[in-house]
Amino acid sequence: MEFLPDSYVLSRMQFALTAIFHMLWPVLTTGMGIYLVVVEILWLKTKNPDYYYHARFWSKLYVLNFGIGVATGIPMEFQFGTNWAPFSEATGDFFGSILGFEASMAFMLEAGFLGIMVFGWERVNPYVHLFSTVMVAFGANLSTFWILIANSWMQTPAGGEFIGGKFIVHDYFQAMFNPFMRTSVLHMFFATLETSLFVIGGISAWYVLKGRNKAFFARSFKIVLGCAIAVAPIQIYVGHISAEQVYHYQPTKLAAMEARWETIPAGEGGDWSLIALPNDKAEKNDFEIAVPEALGLILELKTKLSEPVQGLKAFAPEDRPHQIGLIYYAFRIMIAIGFFLAALMLWSTWQWWRGKLSDENIGAQKWLMRAWIFAAPLGYIATDSGWIVRCVGRQPWTVYGEIRTIDAASHIPAEEVFASLVGFVALYSLLFATTLYFGRQIIIEGPNLELPLPSEEIVLVDTDPAELQPNQRPAEAQQ
Amino acid sequence: METLDYFLPQVWFVILALFLFLYVILDGFDLGVGILSLTADGDEKRGMLMTSLSNVWDANETWLVLMGGALFGAFPLAYGTILSALYIPILTMIFALSVRAVAFEFRELSRRKWFWNNAFGVASFIAAMSQGFALGSVLAGIQVDSAGHFTGGVWDWLNWRSLLVALTLVQGYVLIGSTYLILKTEDDLQETHYRTAKIAAFTTLAGALLITITTPIFSEVLRAKLLSSNLTSVFIAIPLLAVLLIGLLLRSLFAKSENTPFIWTLLLFLLSFFGIGLIVFPYIIPTKITIYQGAASPSALVFMLIFVGFLIPIMLFYNIYQYVVFRGKVSSAEYGE
Repeated sequence: MEFLPDSYVLSRMQFALTAIFHMLWPVLTTGMGIYLVVVEILWLKTKNPDYYYHARFWSKLYVLNFGIGVATGIPMEFQFGTNWAPFSEATGDFFGSILGFEASMAFMLEAGFLGIMVFGWERVNPYVHLFSTVMVAFGANLSTFWILIANSWMQTPAGGEFIGGKFIVHDYFQAMFNPFMRTSVLHMFFATLETSLFVIGGISAWYVLKGRNKAFFARSFKIVLGCAIAVAPIQIYVGHISAEQVYHYQPTKLAAMEARWETIPAGEGGDWSLIALPNDKAEKNDFEIAVPEALGLILELKTKLSEPVQGLKAFAPEDRPHQIGLIYYAFRIMIAIGFFLAALMLWSTWQWWRGKLSDENIGAQKWLMRAWIFAAPLGYIATDSGWIVRCVGRQPWTVYGEIRTIDAASHIPAEEVFASLVGFVALYSLLFATTLYFGRQIIIEGPNLELPLPSEEIVLVDTDPAELQPNQRPAEAQQ
Repeated sequence: METLDYFLPQVWFVILALFLFLYVILDGFDLGVGILSLTADGDEKRGMLMTSLSNVWDANETWLVLMGGALFGAFPLAYGTILSALYIPILTMIFALSVRAVAFEFRELSRRKWFWNNAFGVASFIAAMSQGFALGSVLAGIQVDSAGHFTGGVWDWLNWRSLLVALTLVQGYVLIGSTYLILKTEDDLQETHYRTAKIAAFTTLAGALLITITTPIFSEVLRAKLLSSNLTSVFIAIPLLAVLLIGLLLRSLFAKSENTPFIWTLLLFLLSFFGIGLIVFPYIIPTKITIYQGAASPSALVFMLIFVGFLIPIMLFYNIYQYVVFRGKVSSAEYGE
């Protein structure tokens, strides 16, 4: 099949597709797990059944997303072996260990307690149940921690050296706590949280706007708004630190993010590009609108750059990324969304302060509610855009400065990779459509406020199995 | 240091064998129930079969992820070589497991349950077959150069010997799935699975016998190993013990006992594992690359052992706890019941 690109290009396309698609599900469950812990604690503390119904309602969406997350997560791990065998061999000592930790600490913890969290309301006492929910949320966030360690090591490898193409670790903790690690973990942690907050808020706003269970959803709306007051600004700040680190450690990525072709020497302000049409062949932007003297302020909060910003032309074409437009716009989309969500938070907080979000008044906030519905998918777009900047911007390297992507790929026939790529496109399109359909169905159905509360005297942990006969478990079957 | 160079890969070989064993028995009954669901009459019964897995399927599948991660870290060369050599069966398995996972969630929400029920069953079968082909190819030997890099062809995994392993594995999964269902169901459903368990016991035995006979005939290295090593008596004992276990299993099935069939099947799996482990050891890519050649550096093995080692008992503990919480019979087609 002559028309096919090289096998490694197809492997890259496949990894990009599976990663971008996979990201959509854990980004919600990781943050929503924390929300579920919060409402469950509130339920146990206040004994207000609304919180119990919140836990039950949102965990339906949680389970749907979790299932797709598992289904799309398995290909991520196994692709390192199938499509990136030389990379696996070269970095196994460190990278493989980290994936092993993720599976044993995070994945297993989540999976081991998920059953109890979802189906165990009638089977364990409330505190064991809360413990299970905490473990599920904790496991998901540990996953973020380990995966971002692995990925940030690919960005800024540390703690050892490449000898004969193989990474020899000298210091595991230095490798784990590599330069990008702290901000990367935090940036991703807040990304999952912020995305979830605005999804929960957006769905709550939809109910408020429709006038369904207004008081009930005003409650979840205010819980997430309360969290967003902290999360939205912190995320902008952490994002800023991340960009500053790229400036210091990954000059080719920064040049691509800014579509800078010529080097800006230290001591200048530097223009900050707002809109551009990068032209890779001509090595210039065909069109550009820039804010003069703003780059130093944006990167370092100083009027003059302390280090030069190297232009793309300072690097040989084979040593720099080539999808400049993609990286440039993905970066701007992410930033725009970050600021939009923060502004929406400020507007909502202002209205809350003025008492406009009380159960009686919230229904009148039509435009605010519409804005939240509009904001619901934005977190996903921002997160995937961020990953595109991070990993497309890292090219042509798989491990920055050490292993080229072309050398990291397995030598498998292009036809084979093409076939699996087509399979993933087909399967994932189907999954996406079906999940949206069922997610919509769950939302239209709404919360079940008739559900009996778990009985007070749950002692099932110690009961005899004989007591668990069919007709004695009423609540769940009626759901 | 020298003893450590031998000791650490051996420890990791055993840990990986443990993870793989846990995966094979746990997801084994999971996949077996999936395959059996294709034979169930009516969507209500099919639903009950799936309900018997609702709270455990995810944790069961996670042992595979764990096994993958641990293999990646402990034997990176084998991870890359084996997975890229088996690209088609591995990717097929991944697609099947994905479909299976989502079918599980979607069927609960869908009005067209039959569609997702069937998707679940078919995907379970395909996943089991792919695993069998992968296992068969690894045991038969993957073609590699002296550095352990794959040099074979795209379709190497497809031959009658790996097909035999695949079919036998499916029988084994059906067997353990049936005995699990005997444990978890009552009346009609339980009756049905006493029957399927009996049939599967015979077909598994037949497959295992064929594999046991053909392996030394077609593999020179293994024949030499079987005949020359001081383990000959063990290799004679294993098939005898297996026949004994099958006998005990059949007896418990005919006596309609509820718990023991599952236990005998577990022991049967354990015995097969032990046998395969003895044949494979000390290779990680049989029969080309030993665990000592393919292992990560000793420091990496220690690093992983510190973190993963102490987690093994904890993981086992909460997995068992989950089974305890959800013990008892399945009574409806609603998840969690």
